[in-house]
Amino acid sequence: MIELTITRVFDAPRALVWQAWTDPEQLARWWGPRGVSTPLDKIQMDLRPGGAANLTMVDDATGAEYPNTGHYLEVVPPERLVWHDDGFADGSGAGTVTVTFADRGDKTELTVHAVADFSETVRAQAEIGWASSFDKLAELLARRPR
Amino acid sequence: MPTDQLSRTFAALADPTRRAMLARLADGEATVNELAEPFPISLQAVSKHLKVLEEAGLVSRSRTAQQRPARLRPGPLADAADWLTFYRKFFEGSLDRLDEHLRNLQKGNASD
Repeated sequence: MIELTITRVFDAPRALVWQAWTDPEQLARWWGPRGVSTPLDKIQMDLRPGGAANLTMVDDATGAEYPNTGHYLEVVPPERLVWHDDGFADGSGAGTVTVTFADRGDKTELTVHAVADFSETVRAQAEIGWASSFDKLAELLARRPR
Repeated sequence: MPTDQLSRTFAALADPTRRAMLARLADGEATVNELAEPFPISLQAVSKHLKVLEEAGLVSRSRTAQQRPARLRPGPLADAADWLTFYRKFFEGSLDRLDEHLRNLQKGNASD
């Protein structure tokens, strides 16, 4: 299994950290690494199992947009948020993300656990592989003396 | 039983002998005999490891040459590294900003 775990302790009570993850207005202020913005009008959060988890990130430097879709699998306030991320348009980056909020008094221990789903990536690459083979074949046939 | 390509990549990489074999193949193709040289294990064991690497798509073996030399296929390795790097960078970067956001939020509350 391909997975990634990141744990961080935040100097804020759990209810506050939960809100930061589940209130679109707050999410818009921090989602994405520096250099990327997530405009509020491009966040769609339907916080229930099966509900949509869609947002679009914008590259601050180029204005390029990266739409990202997914759906929630578990919503257990203020403890656990699980969603499936469909990844990018080419199917890369798909996976399941589990965020756990542990109460540590005035602080909150947050764990992000991501498990990759590579079936789409591999399928997409296989198709690209086949497509380029067909291109090469077509080229060869075109070059063949008649 | 891992099914997708990346799971196979990681399972194959979990073994130190196989990682050493990959490092050797990064220098160029090699036969089973050549691969076996640095290890105190049988040719049969080396063949077995090679088969795991081949099934994981990490190496390919010549079908024509008699010794069937193996060579590295870097694709799956790059995919695995890309995924981990991307997700780690994404979340580390986001959580840095979340930390800042929570601090600002509480400062705001305190001064209200």
